[in-house]
Amino acid sequence: CHDDLDQDPKIDPDSFTENDVFANADEARGALAKLYASLALTGQEGPAGQPDISGIDEGTSQYSRMLFSLNELTTDNAVVGWGDPGLPNLHAMNWGASNDFTTAMYYRLAQEVSFCNSFIANASSLDDPAIESFIAEARFLRAFAYYNLIDLYGNVPLVTLISTELPSQNSREEIFSFIESELTEIQNSLMESGANDYGRVDRVAAWALLSKLYLNAEVWIGQDRYTEAITYAKQVINSSYTINTTDANGNGSAYDELFLADNNSNGAQNEFIFALNFDGNQSRTYGGTTFLVHAAIGGDMDAANFGVNGGWSGLRTTKALVNKFDYAVTASNEDGDPTEWADQRAMFFTEGQNLEINTIANTFTDGYAVTKFKNIDSEGNAGSDAGGDFVDTDLPLIRMAEIYLTYAEAVTRGGSGGNIQEAVGYINELRERAFGNADGNISSSDLTTDFVLDERARELYWEGQRRTDLIRYNDFTTGSYLWPFKGGSKSGTSVSDYRTLFPLPSNIILINPNLTQNTGY
Amino acid sequence: GTVTEAATGMPVPGANVIVKGTSNGTITDFDGLYTIENLVVGDTIAYSFLGFATKEIPFTGQETINVQLEEDQATLDEVVVVGYGTIRKKDATGAVNQISTEDFNQGQVNTAGQLITGKIAGVTVTSDGGAPGEGQNINIRGIGSISLNSSPLYVVDGIPLDNSIVGGSRNPLDFINPNDIESMTVLKDASSTAIYGSRAANGVILITTKKGKGQEFKFNYSGNTTVSRPTKYVDVMNADQFRTLVNEVGNDAAIARLGNANTNWQKEIYSEAIGFDHNLSTTGNIGGFMPTRASIGYTDQDGILSGDNFSRTTGSINLRPSFMDGHLKVELNARGMYTENTFANRDAIGTSVGYDPTQAIYDANSPFGNYNSWLVYSEEADRYVLNNLAPVNPIALINEKDDSAEVRRFIGNAKVDYKLHFFPDITATVNIGLDKTNSNGRTFVSKDMPSAQLDWNGSYNSYSNISTNKLFDAYLTYDKDFGDHSLTAVVGYSYQSFERNKDSYNSLRVQDGVNPVVIDNEKSVLLSYFGRANYNYADRFLITATLRADASSKLNPNDRWGYFPSTAVAWNIHNEEFFKSNTIDQLKLRVGYGEIANVNGLKDYLYLTRYNASQQNAYYQFGPSYYQTYRPEAINKDLRWEVGKTFNAGIDYSFFDSRISGSVNAYLKKTEDLISYVTVDPFTNFSNKIDKNIGDMENKGIEFEVNVVPVRTDDFKWSIGYNIAYNDNEITNLPDQVEVGGINGGTGNNIQLHKEGYSPFSYWVYKQVYDEAGRPIEGAYVDRNGDNQINDDDKYLYKDPFADITMGLNTNLSFKNWDLAIVSRASLGNYAYNNMASAKSYEIRATENSILTNLHRDYYNTGFQSLTETNLQSDYYIQDASFFKLDNITLGYTFDQIFKESTLRLYGTAQNVLIVTDYDGLDPEINGGIDNNFYPRPRMYTIGVNLNF
Repeated sequence: CHDDLDQDPKIDPDSFTENDVFANADEARGALAKLYASLALTGQEGPAGQPDISGIDEGTSQYSRMLFSLNELTTDNAVVGWGDPGLPNLHAMNWGASNDFTTAMYYRLAQEVSFCNSFIANASSLDDPAIESFIAEARFLRAFAYYNLIDLYGNVPLVTLISTELPSQNSREEIFSFIESELTEIQNSLMESGANDYGRVDRVAAWALLSKLYLNAEVWIGQDRYTEAITYAKQVINSSYTINTTDANGNGSAYDELFLADNNSNGAQNEFIFALNFDGNQSRTYGGTTFLVHAAIGGDMDAANFGVNGGWSGLRTTKALVNKFDYAVTASNEDGDPTEWADQRAMFFTEGQNLEINTIANTFTDGYAVTKFKNIDSEGNAGSDAGGDFVDTDLPLIRMAEIYLTYAEAVTRGGSGGNIQEAVGYINELRERAFGNADGNISSSDLTTDFVLDERARELYWEGQRRTDLIRYNDFTTGSYLWPFKGGSKSGTSVSDYRTLFPLPSNIILINPNLTQNTGY
Repeated sequence: GTVTEAATGMPVPGANVIVKGTSNGTITDFDGLYTIENLVVGDTIAYSFLGFATKEIPFTGQETINVQLEEDQATLDEVVVVGYGTIRKKDATGAVNQISTEDFNQGQVNTAGQLITGKIAGVTVTSDGGAPGEGQNINIRGIGSISLNSSPLYVVDGIPLDNSIVGGSRNPLDFINPNDIESMTVLKDASSTAIYGSRAANGVILITTKKGKGQEFKFNYSGNTTVSRPTKYVDVMNADQFRTLVNEVGNDAAIARLGNANTNWQKEIYSEAIGFDHNLSTTGNIGGFMPTRASIGYTDQDGILSGDNFSRTTGSINLRPSFMDGHLKVELNARGMYTENTFANRDAIGTSVGYDPTQAIYDANSPFGNYNSWLVYSEEADRYVLNNLAPVNPIALINEKDDSAEVRRFIGNAKVDYKLHFFPDITATVNIGLDKTNSNGRTFVSKDMPSAQLDWNGSYNSYSNISTNKLFDAYLTYDKDFGDHSLTAVVGYSYQSFERNKDSYNSLRVQDGVNPVVIDNEKSVLLSYFGRANYNYADRFLITATLRADASSKLNPNDRWGYFPSTAVAWNIHNEEFFKSNTIDQLKLRVGYGEIANVNGLKDYLYLTRYNASQQNAYYQFGPSYYQTYRPEAINKDLRWEVGKTFNAGIDYSFFDSRISGSVNAYLKKTEDLISYVTVDPFTNFSNKIDKNIGDMENKGIEFEVNVVPVRTDDFKWSIGYNIAYNDNEITNLPDQVEVGGINGGTGNNIQLHKEGYSPFSYWVYKQVYDEAGRPIEGAYVDRNGDNQINDDDKYLYKDPFADITMGLNTNLSFKNWDLAIVSRASLGNYAYNNMASAKSYEIRATENSILTNLHRDYYNTGFQSLTETNLQSDYYIQDASFFKLDNITLGYTFDQIFKESTLRLYGTAQNVLIVTDYDGLDPEINGGIDNNFYPRPRMYTIGVNLNF
């Protein structure tokens, strides 16, 4: 009977061994799918169940939802009224080292690195030509995780092999070089531009991520790398990807199509260099676009217009974002607050909402609501989940418009290899799409570095970029730019400079003596 | 003749004198004299009297028979069940309590734990709530583990049970009809539990069922009927108070939503409930060699939450034939249970607290079965649907969801004892057991249930579970006296396997037509070798030593074998010549030490590399197709046994002919390699948490028990039992901080923390600041680290849910044919988190989300406006939940000889009679300490009969 002590988990039909999963490249696709899914979903059961991350509400632990919390809620772009643990501290900019969001994001990204490391090690033993691209995609995703880690946490361990040894800490410079060399190495192993399945990355994604990396090099490693940013941005711009110009729903602008339920087929997909895929039936989560749609609905908003069955009365924006569109206001209410704009990127719901915020907690009507993300398609039909809970809309993490703006910013910051005329052309492409005509176009004298920051706010708000942008402009913590309730004060106040980095999780510091906490925490 | 007391020569009045096997008998008069007639040579005359040993004298034609009765030493000669054998209580070296039928709690008792509530020092029995057949959490000497199971091991007739619950059951112990239980023995310290090895870390409860006995078949019928009544409701605003509030704080739209009704939603969902219980048993002897007992029982008990029902049919048979002049003894037990559970929808408990009291239950315009609902119109679906942030009408929750299950369980064993012919000092025993459960359950929600789903058309889910546990034990017992020395030794082998199969068929929405099956299978095996020696020198010195080797399939091959020794010594001081005394019957000193490990509740296969395939709604899209994803699972190759090292010292005492008896125990348990679900660096693993041997914890305490018999005469007997226990739990080593204790309000808030230096499950809270009038100031907390901001770093650990001191006080009185029993308990120093107040008493709640929601009346004390993380985690809501409870009063009357030898007892019981506490919530006794949507415990009135014939 002693042999009976060796029990085989395979009596459970959902349990597999390495030999099953890496039997061949075809099987390994399921393991590769997990590397993408761990950014889009939260566990092995949708929308919740068998979570990847423990100790936090499962829906909250979804990557892009946390990215929103860390990179948008900490800025002028968004506030939220819920009493979730650690959430109110984000907009108030007084998070501590055991904040649930900063902690769970670190876990999610470190886990993604481990998933990728395991995949790379196992897949490398397979002898199949298809596996080369799989491995390159895994390396891209690992580099993407490190891109997030270097941005959010700075000095983190660089781990490329699965080991139970407690890792030591690496400098931001080392992480930077790793991302740079990985992306450079894999660019030719990844599939050619547009050749991969929708939802999987090709070499353009590697170039795009490199351009983003170089744009931030001055902040992250103190080196001016704008020239490289331009080089790779141009490679992306010259690829088969284009900004979407198809106004599929005929409302006068091709911008809103990017955030509709059919954005995987209405033309928007041509702009998505790296996107997370969601589906109302087969890829369910309480994060992702399901969060972005539901959480933004409340007050007098009719959920049916968004293709869902109700709102969660949470997210709104501050007037600092609304005011970025002042140049295009076409109608105001009796209080003089704007209600309509010629720039159709200004997607605000104003009825019954106060532009000014007096109370954040439990008061949805303070602050304009945002209508950017919807679960209806270009025909006006709701998404595939007939119950109206889960959203089909895919979420771009890198899209062409951002690369246009990267190019423009790198040029204005003095990078070589590009020129201001070309940059103005790109900005005007975005603006013509936003206005539906040339009314909003700018000239080269308008194009300053500061202009690009505001244009990025207008184009990319709620897409998880804002905190990084404000840090690059030294506006995140300082008094040079204030927004309502910045630092917990109604009119806004500066906070300590150390808050440009989030703390390493206090529990990780407790268990790993090799690590030093970020300054200030 | 005359009957006298042997020790004093005093006459014994009222002694029974009876010719055995007949109804010919008499009793002695005031002078102990008796006369009995119609005797024939060969009769046996039996003399008995309460408190004395029965004496039998054969009739050989004597004219006069004078009899001296000896004091009954029953309490000391009592045999207690221990692992793999029995032992005379006076020979026990450990902390052992045995409670038998006559001391069990009475009334509406559906499950074994209720029989011993309040009876044993250091043993707490807390029900999860007031539902019939509800699970009982039994803790012995505090909480011994923080991630693993802290329940004791239950052993029924030698079969160690698996504590996990099968889907569709209410309680892992509900299969055994309490009427079939003869005794429950609680082994508290390591030296007595060590023989059970790894599963006994939190103590052992041995359940011995009633056996066949006697020669003639006798029958017993017992039956009762119970009325349960709700006693208290959550303190919410009434309709008028709520109207006033909304008129004050609401805008015009909110005020317009007020209704005209006065509905007390809690009163609507609870009602008086009736229950019945019938049991018939017989015991006798088949063919002169096979003592037999058989029983059937039927229980049907409604819960006070409308729609709740527990219905159970049990049958059992016990056969104990012996062969070869008693050299071969066989014991067969078979026990079957069929339960039908109808689970009331407990969501109604929460929504009844918050539902707007100004609304009527029904609204003719509601498309959902005319249930009043907060509706919104969906253009998309062209219909009205429920506002997705609104609560569902509690009456709809009750009426429109059917949740039921049937559970079938068989548990049986065959035990063979063979006393070797060639070496009768050795007995060989084999015990084979099977415990199999099969359950089928389903939930059906009708389309009339208000729903926010745009395509709502009702739903149906079903599941089936099978659990199969197998046991094989084989052991040898050597028992020999050598003059003053006696030795009992046991060596054995045990194999147990636990296999579980769970299938669930999910159909989230009927109209989808999807019916995916989710199958979960797991199996674990436990292998053991064990040995024990008891040595007794002249009844003065007793030594017990045990060693058990356990291997679990849950652990990796290198660490899976654990060796757990224990030893204990006892000194019967009362048997020493220098200490002989007439007043002291017993004075025994005991000291013991033992090591016991634990992996109970640890998941299977954690040390293996595994990949888990995703379910159908967690696929990921590549191009046009959706792919099932494979996730590498968190792994810990180094998992090993969590080892508890317990030191116990005790005194057993008995004075004045057992009029005062009891014990005192002190213990210290250090658990090392504590398995905790703790943070792992996800750069080194596939999750952020794994089960890991990482910490240490300590339990220490003192227990005192006393039983006093103030009066013991023929007509009048009065006994009092009192016990008190102090216990302290502390995590002594834990590098991590582990948040636990999820609460209502916000998303993902926890209220408790495991932290080194504190009790596990300590509350982790902000320190509230109060104004001069003593009202809490919203949002004002003590900035404990002085950094001028309030965040996690300002939280502190304050109190814990475990009692420092628990007490039990019970008394039994019998006067002539009357009997009265009273059981009461007290718990001191346990704190509860009042989540009903914290999450439901902020002003904005009344009018937010375009609906109206009722408030907890604690709002009048705080005036809090918003639901924030910090408000929720204020120490204001950590409240002293010490209590005194009068649990049970039973009054009975017995009619003797209603015909021939039959007796009939009638009794009435009141349960949950009185609660004395300062706690503001529904009930201070909250398992886990988080008071949230608690199923109220009803007050119960039972009348019953017990007929022996």
